[in-house]
Amino acid sequence: MTEVVKLIDVSKCTGCRSCQLACKQWNQQPAKQTKHLGTYQNPPDLQSNTWTLIRFQEVADKDGVKWLFRKDGCMHCTDAACVKVCPSGALYHTSYGTVGINHSRCIGCKECVSACPFDIPRYDRDTDKVYKCDLCLSRIEADLTPACAKACPTGAITFGEKTAMIKKAYARVKELGGDANVYGDKFVGGTHVLYVLAEKPEVYDELPKKPSVPIATILWKDILKPLSLISAGGVLGGAFLHYIIHGPKLPDEETNTKEGGE
Amino acid sequence: MRKGLIKATDSFERIVHWCLAISCLILCITGLGMMFQSFNFIGTLMGGLKSLKYVHNFTGIFFAVSLFFTIRMWWREAGVLDLPDDWEWIKVAGGYLWHVDKVPEAGKYNVGQKAFFLVVAGFGIIMILTGLIMWSPLSFPAWLVRWMFVFHALGFVAIFAFFFIHLYLGTVGSPGSVDAMLTGWVTRAWLKKQHPKWLREMEENGTLEVFGEEKPGAGHGHGH
Repeated sequence: MTEVVKLIDVSKCTGCRSCQLACKQWNQQPAKQTKHLGTYQNPPDLQSNTWTLIRFQEVADKDGVKWLFRKDGCMHCTDAACVKVCPSGALYHTSYGTVGINHSRCIGCKECVSACPFDIPRYDRDTDKVYKCDLCLSRIEADLTPACAKACPTGAITFGEKTAMIKKAYARVKELGGDANVYGDKFVGGTHVLYVLAEKPEVYDELPKKPSVPIATILWKDILKPLSLISAGGVLGGAFLHYIIHGPKLPDEETNTKEGGE
Repeated sequence: MRKGLIKATDSFERIVHWCLAISCLILCITGLGMMFQSFNFIGTLMGGLKSLKYVHNFTGIFFAVSLFFTIRMWWREAGVLDLPDDWEWIKVAGGYLWHVDKVPEAGKYNVGQKAFFLVVAGFGIIMILTGLIMWSPLSFPAWLVRWMFVFHALGFVAIFAFFFIHLYLGTVGSPGSVDAMLTGWVTRAWLKKQHPKWLREMEENGTLEVFGEEKPGAGHGHGH
Protein backbone atom coordinates (compact mmCIF):
# COMPACT_ATOMS: atom_id res chain seq x y z
CA MET A 1 0.00 0.00 0.00
CA THR A 2 1.26 3.48 -0.70
CA GLU A 3 1.96 5.81 2.17
CA VAL A 4 -0.31 8.79 2.55
CA VAL A 5 0.18 12.26 3.94
CA LYS A 6 -2.22 14.91 5.14
CA LEU A 7 -0.83 18.35 4.40
CA ILE A 8 -1.94 21.27 6.56
CA ASP A 9 -1.11 24.61 5.04
CA VAL A 10 -1.63 27.01 7.95
CA SER A 11 -1.24 30.02 5.66
CA LYS A 12 -4.55 29.11 4.06
CA CYS A 13 -6.38 28.42 7.30
CA THR A 14 -9.08 30.90 8.31
CA GLY A 15 -9.85 29.26 11.65
CA CYS A 16 -13.39 28.31 10.62
CA ARG A 17 -13.21 25.02 12.53
CA SER A 18 -15.00 23.02 9.84
CA CYS A 19 -12.36 20.33 10.26
CA GLN A 20 -13.02 20.20 13.99
CA LEU A 21 -16.72 19.69 13.40
CA ALA A 22 -16.32 17.25 10.51
CA CYS A 23 -14.06 15.14 12.72
CA LYS A 24 -16.70 15.02 15.43
CA GLN A 25 -19.39 14.20 12.89
CA TRP A 26 -17.62 11.37 11.12
CA ASN A 27 -16.34 9.82 14.33
CA GLN A 28 -19.68 10.39 16.10
CA GLN A 29 -18.15 12.21 19.01
CA PRO A 30 -20.40 14.43 21.13
CA ALA A 31 -19.24 17.75 22.50
CA LYS A 32 -17.92 18.08 26.01
CA GLN A 33 -18.63 20.82 28.48
CA THR A 34 -16.30 23.67 27.64
CA LYS A 35 -15.33 26.87 29.38
CA HIS A 36 -14.63 30.42 28.35
CA LEU A 37 -10.98 31.31 28.61
CA GLY A 38 -11.21 34.83 27.26
CA THR A 39 -9.95 33.68 23.86
CA TYR A 40 -11.45 32.14 20.78
CA GLN A 41 -9.84 28.82 21.71
CA ASN A 42 -12.64 26.28 21.99
CA PRO A 43 -12.51 23.59 23.24
CA PRO A 44 -9.49 24.66 25.30
CA ASP A 45 -7.45 21.58 24.37
CA LEU A 46 -7.59 18.17 22.71
CA GLN A 47 -9.99 15.87 24.55
CA SER A 48 -10.74 12.19 24.50
CA ASN A 49 -13.55 13.00 22.07
CA THR A 50 -11.92 15.97 20.35
CA TRP A 51 -9.20 14.51 18.19
CA THR A 52 -8.39 17.64 16.28
CA LEU A 53 -8.80 21.33 16.95
CA ILE A 54 -7.65 24.68 15.73
CA ARG A 55 -5.27 26.38 18.09
CA PHE A 56 -6.00 30.11 18.07
CA GLN A 57 -3.03 32.25 18.82
CA GLU A 58 -2.70 36.00 18.88
CA VAL A 59 0.76 37.31 18.12
CA ALA A 60 1.96 40.87 18.08
CA ASP A 61 3.61 42.13 14.92
CA LYS A 62 4.60 45.55 13.68
CA ASP A 63 1.07 46.42 12.51
CA GLY A 64 -0.58 45.38 15.74
CA VAL A 65 -1.94 41.91 16.26
CA LYS A 66 -2.32 38.96 13.93
CA TRP A 67 -3.85 35.53 14.25
CA LEU A 68 -2.14 32.21 13.86
CA PHE A 69 -4.33 29.19 13.33
CA ARG A 70 -2.90 25.73 13.63
CA LYS A 71 -4.89 22.54 13.32
CA ASP A 72 -3.51 20.25 16.02
CA GLY A 73 -3.87 16.48 16.19
CA CYS A 74 -2.00 13.23 15.74
CA MET A 75 1.05 13.59 13.49
CA HIS A 76 1.13 9.88 12.55
CA CYS A 77 4.87 9.40 13.05
CA THR A 78 6.81 6.74 11.19
CA ASP A 79 8.89 6.17 14.32
CA ALA A 80 5.96 6.50 16.69
CA ALA A 81 6.73 6.53 20.41
CA CYS A 82 3.13 5.55 21.22
CA VAL A 83 3.34 2.39 19.13
CA LYS A 84 6.69 1.61 20.71
CA VAL A 85 5.36 1.74 24.27
CA CYS A 86 1.87 0.29 23.75
CA PRO A 87 1.89 -3.02 25.64
CA SER A 88 -1.13 -4.55 23.94
CA GLY A 89 -0.73 -3.64 20.29
CA ALA A 90 -3.75 -1.34 20.46
CA LEU A 91 -1.68 1.33 18.72
CA TYR A 92 -0.23 0.09 15.45
CA HIS A 93 1.17 1.16 12.12
CA THR A 94 -1.27 0.80 9.26
CA SER A 95 -0.21 -0.10 5.75
CA TYR A 96 -0.72 3.58 4.86
CA GLY A 97 2.04 4.57 7.29
CA THR A 98 -0.47 6.12 9.68
CA VAL A 99 -0.94 5.13 13.33
CA GLY A 100 -4.17 3.26 13.92
CA ILE A 101 -5.81 2.56 17.23
CA ASN A 102 -7.75 -0.58 18.10
CA HIS A 103 -9.81 0.29 21.14
CA SER A 104 -10.78 -3.28 21.93
CA ARG A 105 -7.15 -3.93 22.78
CA CYS A 106 -6.52 -0.74 24.77
CA ILE A 107 -6.05 -1.46 28.49
CA GLY A 108 -5.97 2.15 29.65
CA CYS A 109 -2.38 2.06 30.88
CA LYS A 110 -1.77 5.59 29.50
CA GLU A 111 1.82 4.76 28.55
CA CYS A 112 1.28 6.40 25.16
CA VAL A 113 0.04 9.60 26.81
CA SER A 114 3.39 10.31 28.43
CA ALA A 115 5.48 8.91 25.56
CA CYS A 116 4.02 11.02 22.74
CA PRO A 117 6.39 13.89 21.85
CA PHE A 118 3.42 15.91 20.55
CA ASP A 119 1.18 15.36 23.62
CA ILE A 120 -1.69 14.00 21.54
CA PRO A 121 -3.36 10.90 23.08
CA ARG A 122 -6.13 11.67 25.57
CA TYR A 123 -7.41 9.30 28.23
CA ASP A 124 -11.12 8.86 28.92
CA ARG A 125 -11.96 7.86 32.46
CA ASP A 126 -15.43 6.54 31.61
CA THR A 127 -14.27 3.97 29.08
CA ASP A 128 -10.77 3.57 30.59
CA LYS A 129 -9.29 3.91 27.12
CA VAL A 130 -7.13 6.33 25.18
CA TYR A 131 -8.29 8.18 22.07
CA LYS A 132 -6.66 10.05 19.22
CA CYS A 133 -7.04 10.77 15.50
CA ASP A 134 -6.65 7.71 13.27
CA LEU A 135 -6.57 9.85 10.11
CA CYS A 136 -10.03 8.49 9.31
CA LEU A 137 -8.72 5.01 8.58
CA SER A 138 -12.23 3.83 7.74
CA ARG A 139 -12.47 6.53 5.09
CA ILE A 140 -8.97 5.98 3.68
CA GLU A 141 -9.77 2.29 3.30
CA ALA A 142 -12.88 3.26 1.36
CA ASP A 143 -10.76 5.47 -0.90
CA LEU A 144 -12.11 8.67 0.63
CA THR A 145 -10.14 11.59 2.04
CA PRO A 146 -10.18 12.19 5.82
CA ALA A 147 -13.24 14.06 7.06
CA CYS A 148 -11.23 17.16 8.01
CA ALA A 149 -9.67 17.42 4.55
CA LYS A 150 -13.07 16.88 2.93
CA ALA A 151 -14.64 19.65 4.99
CA CYS A 152 -11.91 22.26 4.66
CA PRO A 153 -13.35 25.11 2.52
CA THR A 154 -10.05 26.90 1.78
CA GLY A 155 -7.86 24.03 0.70
CA ALA A 156 -5.68 24.35 3.77
CA ILE A 157 -6.02 20.60 4.40
CA THR A 158 -5.19 18.32 1.51
CA PHE A 159 -4.57 14.62 1.39
CA GLY A 160 -2.72 12.31 -0.95
CA GLU A 161 0.23 10.10 -1.74
CA LYS A 162 3.27 10.83 0.42
CA THR A 163 5.98 11.88 -2.06
CA ALA A 164 3.56 14.00 -4.06
CA MET A 165 2.40 15.77 -0.91
CA ILE A 166 5.95 16.45 0.28
CA LYS A 167 6.73 17.94 -3.12
CA LYS A 168 3.60 20.04 -2.91
CA ALA A 169 4.59 21.25 0.56
CA TYR A 170 8.01 22.42 -0.56
CA ALA A 171 6.56 24.10 -3.62
CA ARG A 172 4.16 26.03 -1.41
CA VAL A 173 6.96 27.06 0.98
CA LYS A 174 8.92 28.38 -1.95
CA GLU A 175 5.86 30.32 -3.04
CA LEU A 176 5.35 31.80 0.44
CA GLY A 177 9.01 32.65 1.04
CA GLY A 178 10.15 34.37 4.23
CA ASP A 179 10.07 32.19 7.34
CA ALA A 180 7.76 29.62 5.74
CA ASN A 181 8.89 26.04 6.25
CA VAL A 182 7.83 22.42 5.97
CA TYR A 183 7.32 20.77 9.34
CA GLY A 184 7.19 17.01 9.81
CA ASP A 185 9.23 15.24 7.14
CA LYS A 186 12.59 15.60 8.91
CA PHE A 187 11.98 13.99 12.30
CA VAL A 188 10.55 10.83 13.97
CA GLY A 189 11.13 9.05 10.68
CA GLY A 190 8.84 11.49 8.92
CA THR A 191 5.31 12.24 10.02
CA HIS A 192 2.25 11.46 7.94
CA VAL A 193 0.77 14.82 8.81
CA LEU A 194 2.83 17.68 7.42
CA TYR A 195 2.56 21.38 8.05
CA VAL A 196 3.38 24.26 5.84
CA LEU A 197 4.11 26.80 8.55
CA ALA A 198 4.15 30.48 7.74
CA GLU A 199 6.33 31.26 10.76
CA LYS A 200 9.22 29.43 12.41
CA PRO A 201 8.04 26.36 14.38
CA GLU A 202 8.91 27.91 17.76
CA VAL A 203 6.37 30.68 17.15
CA TYR A 204 3.47 28.23 17.41
CA ASP A 205 2.04 27.21 20.77
CA GLU A 206 2.27 23.56 21.79
CA LEU A 207 4.41 22.69 18.79
CA PRO A 208 7.75 21.07 19.70
CA LYS A 209 10.66 22.55 17.78
CA LYS A 210 12.56 19.30 17.39
CA PRO A 211 10.29 16.41 18.36
CA SER A 212 11.83 12.98 18.85
CA VAL A 213 11.09 9.65 20.46
CA PRO A 214 12.02 10.37 24.11
CA ILE A 215 15.47 9.07 25.08
CA ALA A 216 13.87 7.37 28.09
CA THR A 217 11.54 5.45 25.78
CA ILE A 218 14.48 4.27 23.67
CA LEU A 219 16.47 3.25 26.75
CA TRP A 220 13.52 1.35 28.08
CA LYS A 221 12.28 -0.37 24.93
CA ASP A 222 15.44 -0.89 22.90
CA ILE A 223 17.99 -1.60 25.64
CA LEU A 224 16.50 -2.64 28.98
CA LYS A 225 13.66 -4.70 27.54
CA PRO A 226 15.85 -7.13 25.59
CA LEU A 227 18.46 -6.99 28.35
CA SER A 228 15.97 -8.38 30.87
CA LEU A 229 15.54 -11.62 28.92
CA ILE A 230 19.20 -11.82 27.93
CA SER A 231 20.43 -11.47 31.51
CA ALA A 232 17.86 -13.91 32.88
CA GLY A 233 18.76 -16.39 30.15
CA GLY A 234 22.46 -15.86 30.89
CA VAL A 235 21.87 -16.57 34.56
CA LEU A 236 19.96 -19.76 33.79
CA GLY A 237 22.68 -20.93 31.43
CA GLY A 238 25.32 -19.91 33.93
CA ALA A 239 23.59 -21.82 36.71
CA PHE A 240 23.48 -24.94 34.56
CA LEU A 241 27.18 -24.64 33.70
CA HIS A 242 27.99 -23.98 37.35
CA TYR A 243 26.18 -27.17 38.31
CA ILE A 244 27.96 -29.37 35.79
CA ILE A 245 31.41 -27.76 36.07
CA HIS A 246 31.79 -26.56 39.64
CA GLY A 247 29.05 -28.68 41.17
CA PRO A 248 26.63 -27.93 43.98
CA LYS A 249 27.75 -27.03 47.46
CA LEU A 250 27.07 -30.16 49.46
CA PRO A 251 27.28 -30.63 53.22
CA ASP A 252 30.16 -32.91 54.18
CA GLU A 253 28.90 -36.48 54.23
CA GLU A 254 30.59 -37.84 57.33
CA THR A 255 29.07 -35.31 59.69
CA ASN A 256 25.61 -35.63 58.20
CA THR A 257 24.07 -37.66 60.99
CA LYS A 258 26.48 -36.97 63.81
CA GLU A 259 25.37 -34.51 66.37
CA GLY A 260 27.71 -31.88 67.54
CA GLY A 261 30.68 -33.77 66.11
CA GLU A 262 33.43 -31.27 66.47
CA MET B 1 10.69 -33.40 61.66
CA ARG B 2 13.65 -35.48 62.60
CA LYS B 3 15.55 -35.57 65.84
CA GLY B 4 18.70 -33.50 65.69
CA LEU B 5 17.52 -30.99 63.09
CA ILE B 6 18.28 -27.37 63.88
CA LYS B 7 15.87 -24.49 63.63
CA ALA B 8 17.12 -21.94 61.11
CA THR B 9 14.04 -19.77 60.57
CA ASP B 10 10.87 -19.07 62.51
CA SER B 11 7.39 -19.27 61.04
CA PHE B 12 7.03 -15.49 60.70
CA GLU B 13 10.19 -15.32 58.60
CA ARG B 14 8.95 -18.14 56.39
CA ILE B 15 5.51 -16.60 55.88
CA VAL B 16 6.98 -13.21 54.98
CA HIS B 17 9.48 -14.85 52.64
CA TRP B 18 6.72 -16.79 50.87
CA CYS B 19 4.53 -13.70 50.58
CA LEU B 20 7.42 -11.81 49.01
CA ALA B 21 8.35 -14.71 46.74
CA ILE B 22 4.84 -15.35 45.46
CA SER B 23 4.01 -11.67 44.91
CA CYS B 24 7.38 -11.10 43.23
CA LEU B 25 6.80 -14.04 40.92
CA ILE B 26 3.29 -12.90 39.99
CA LEU B 27 4.65 -9.41 39.32
CA CYS B 28 7.44 -10.77 37.10
CA ILE B 29 5.07 -12.95 35.09
CA THR B 30 2.34 -10.33 34.68
CA GLY B 31 4.99 -7.68 34.01
CA LEU B 32 6.39 -9.80 31.19
CA GLY B 33 2.87 -10.03 29.79
CA MET B 34 2.80 -6.24 29.44
CA MET B 35 6.42 -5.68 28.49
CA PHE B 36 6.49 -8.05 25.53
CA GLN B 37 3.60 -8.27 23.11
CA SER B 38 4.65 -11.85 22.42
CA PHE B 39 3.81 -12.58 26.08
CA ASN B 40 0.36 -10.96 25.86
CA PHE B 41 -1.11 -14.46 26.04
CA ILE B 42 -0.35 -14.49 29.78
CA GLY B 43 -3.20 -12.01 30.05
CA THR B 44 -5.55 -14.48 28.43
CA LEU B 45 -5.22 -16.68 31.51
CA MET B 46 -6.58 -13.79 33.57
CA GLY B 47 -9.40 -12.84 31.25
CA GLY B 48 -7.52 -10.34 29.14
CA LEU B 49 -4.63 -7.93 29.34
CA LYS B 50 -6.70 -5.38 31.20
CA SER B 51 -7.33 -7.82 34.03
CA LEU B 52 -3.63 -8.65 33.97
CA LYS B 53 -2.90 -4.97 34.50
CA TYR B 54 -5.09 -4.97 37.60
CA VAL B 55 -3.54 -8.20 38.89
CA HIS B 56 -0.11 -6.61 38.42
CA ASN B 57 -1.02 -3.33 40.12
CA PHE B 58 -2.75 -4.81 43.13
CA THR B 59 -0.15 -7.54 43.60
CA GLY B 60 2.26 -4.62 43.74
CA ILE B 61 0.57 -3.44 46.93
CA PHE B 62 0.84 -6.92 48.41
CA PHE B 63 4.51 -6.93 47.41
CA ALA B 64 5.04 -3.56 49.08
CA VAL B 65 3.64 -4.83 52.38
CA SER B 66 5.71 -8.01 52.14
CA LEU B 67 8.83 -6.00 51.37
CA PHE B 68 8.22 -3.75 54.35
CA PHE B 69 8.20 -6.73 56.71
CA THR B 70 11.12 -8.32 54.88
CA ILE B 71 13.32 -5.28 55.34
CA ARG B 72 12.25 -4.73 58.94
CA MET B 73 12.97 -8.36 59.77
CA TRP B 74 16.26 -8.92 57.95
CA TRP B 75 18.09 -5.63 57.41
CA ARG B 76 20.21 -5.97 60.53
CA GLU B 77 21.40 -9.46 59.63
CA ALA B 78 21.42 -9.30 55.84
CA GLY B 79 21.66 -5.61 55.07
CA VAL B 80 24.94 -4.75 56.75
CA LEU B 81 28.38 -6.05 55.78
CA ASP B 82 30.37 -7.64 58.56
CA LEU B 83 33.89 -6.35 57.96
CA PRO B 84 36.59 -7.50 57.65
CA ASP B 85 35.32 -11.09 57.51
CA ASP B 86 32.94 -10.35 54.64
CA TRP B 87 35.75 -8.77 52.65
CA GLU B 88 37.66 -12.04 52.82
CA TRP B 89 34.57 -13.80 51.54
CA ILE B 90 34.24 -11.37 48.62
CA LYS B 91 37.88 -11.91 47.60
CA VAL B 92 37.26 -15.60 46.98
CA ALA B 93 33.61 -15.17 45.88
CA GLY B 94 32.63 -17.48 48.71
CA GLY B 95 34.24 -20.40 46.93
CA TYR B 96 31.28 -20.56 44.56
CA LEU B 97 33.10 -19.80 41.35
CA TRP B 98 36.54 -21.39 41.57
CA HIS B 99 38.31 -23.79 43.87
CA VAL B 100 39.20 -22.26 47.21
CA ASP B 101 41.06 -24.24 49.85
CA LYS B 102 39.59 -22.48 52.80
CA VAL B 103 36.39 -20.52 52.40
CA PRO B 104 35.98 -17.78 54.99
CA GLU B 105 33.31 -18.80 57.44
CA ALA B 106 29.92 -17.27 56.87
CA GLY B 107 27.57 -16.07 59.57
CA LYS B 108 23.79 -16.22 59.30
CA TYR B 109 24.00 -14.66 55.86
CA ASN B 110 26.98 -14.79 53.54
CA VAL B 111 27.89 -11.83 51.35
CA GLY B 112 26.10 -13.31 48.36
CA GLN B 113 22.89 -13.51 50.33
CA LYS B 114 23.42 -10.01 51.63
CA ALA B 115 23.91 -8.77 48.09
CA PHE B 116 20.68 -10.45 47.10
CA PHE B 117 18.86 -8.90 50.04
CA LEU B 118 20.19 -5.45 49.14
CA VAL B 119 19.22 -5.84 45.48
CA VAL B 120 15.69 -6.95 46.35
CA ALA B 121 15.27 -4.29 49.04
CA GLY B 122 16.80 -1.46 46.99
CA PHE B 123 15.25 -2.26 43.64
CA GLY B 124 12.05 -3.37 45.37
CA ILE B 125 11.61 0.12 46.80
CA ILE B 126 12.38 1.58 43.36
CA MET B 127 9.78 -0.75 41.80
CA ILE B 128 7.14 0.37 44.30
CA LEU B 129 7.82 4.09 43.90
CA THR B 130 8.07 4.03 40.11
CA GLY B 131 5.10 1.68 39.91
CA LEU B 132 2.91 4.00 41.94
CA ILE B 133 3.74 6.92 39.65
CA MET B 134 3.11 4.77 36.58
CA TRP B 135 -0.26 3.83 38.07
CA SER B 136 -1.52 7.42 37.84
CA PRO B 137 0.69 8.92 35.14
CA LEU B 138 -1.60 11.84 34.36
CA SER B 139 -0.96 13.32 37.80
CA PHE B 140 2.74 13.76 37.05
CA PRO B 141 4.73 15.56 34.34
CA ALA B 142 5.31 13.41 31.24
CA TRP B 143 9.12 13.57 31.41
CA LEU B 144 9.04 12.13 34.94
CA VAL B 145 6.67 9.32 33.97
CA ARG B 146 8.91 8.43 31.01
CA TRP B 147 11.88 7.92 33.34
CA MET B 148 9.78 5.89 35.76
CA PHE B 149 9.41 3.25 33.06
CA VAL B 150 13.18 3.18 32.62
CA PHE B 151 13.84 2.61 36.31
CA HIS B 152 11.01 0.09 36.55
CA ALA B 153 12.57 -1.85 33.66
CA LEU B 154 16.03 -1.54 35.22
CA GLY B 155 14.70 -2.96 38.48
CA PHE B 156 13.16 -5.81 36.53
CA VAL B 157 16.45 -6.58 34.80
CA ALA B 158 18.19 -6.81 38.19
CA ILE B 159 15.48 -8.61 40.15
CA PHE B 160 14.60 -11.08 37.39
CA ALA B 161 18.24 -12.13 36.91
CA PHE B 162 18.93 -12.29 40.66
CA PHE B 163 15.75 -14.31 41.14
CA PHE B 164 17.15 -17.17 39.08
CA ILE B 165 20.48 -17.06 40.91
CA HIS B 166 18.54 -17.17 44.17
CA LEU B 167 16.38 -20.05 42.93
CA TYR B 168 19.40 -22.06 41.84
CA LEU B 169 21.44 -21.51 44.99
CA GLY B 170 18.40 -22.11 47.18
CA THR B 171 17.68 -25.48 45.63
CA VAL B 172 19.86 -27.69 43.42
CA GLY B 173 22.94 -25.49 43.74
CA SER B 174 23.02 -25.93 47.50
CA PRO B 175 21.08 -29.03 48.56
CA GLY B 176 19.51 -28.73 51.99
CA SER B 177 18.96 -24.98 51.77
CA VAL B 178 15.35 -25.07 50.71
CA ASP B 179 14.36 -26.66 54.04
CA ALA B 180 15.07 -23.35 55.73
CA MET B 181 12.28 -21.86 53.62
CA LEU B 182 9.92 -24.84 53.76
CA THR B 183 9.96 -26.12 57.33
CA GLY B 184 12.64 -24.01 58.93
CA TRP B 185 14.53 -27.08 60.20
CA VAL B 186 17.93 -27.82 58.67
CA THR B 187 20.62 -30.41 59.26
CA ARG B 188 23.65 -29.68 61.39
CA ALA B 189 25.86 -30.74 58.50
CA TRP B 190 24.28 -28.16 56.23
CA LEU B 191 24.68 -25.43 58.82
CA LYS B 192 28.30 -26.41 59.38
CA LYS B 193 28.99 -26.14 55.70
CA GLN B 194 26.94 -23.05 54.90
CA HIS B 195 26.94 -20.94 58.04
CA PRO B 196 29.59 -22.27 60.42
CA LYS B 197 30.08 -18.97 62.19
CA TRP B 198 26.36 -18.66 62.88
CA LEU B 199 26.21 -22.22 64.18
CA ARG B 200 29.08 -21.45 66.54
CA GLU B 201 27.46 -18.22 67.67
CA MET B 202 24.20 -19.98 68.41
CA GLU B 203 26.00 -22.64 70.38
CA GLU B 204 27.95 -20.07 72.34
CA ASN B 205 24.91 -17.93 73.02
CA GLY B 206 22.79 -20.92 73.87
CA THR B 207 20.20 -19.98 71.26
CA LEU B 208 20.59 -23.18 69.27
CA GLU B 209 17.25 -24.92 68.96
CA VAL B 210 17.60 -28.63 68.25
CA PHE B 211 14.57 -30.73 67.44
CA GLY B 212 13.87 -33.29 70.18
CA GLU B 213 15.95 -31.42 72.69
CA GLU B 214 14.82 -29.00 75.30
CA LYS B 215 14.47 -25.43 74.14
CA PRO B 216 17.30 -23.16 75.13
CA GLY B 217 16.59 -20.63 77.78
CA ALA B 218 13.71 -22.69 79.13
CA GLY B 219 15.27 -22.67 82.55
CA HIS B 220 17.52 -25.69 82.25
CA GLY B 221 20.81 -26.48 80.64
CA HIS B 222 22.74 -23.55 79.27
CA GLY B 223 22.94 -20.52 81.41
CA HIS B 224 22.83 -17.08 79.95
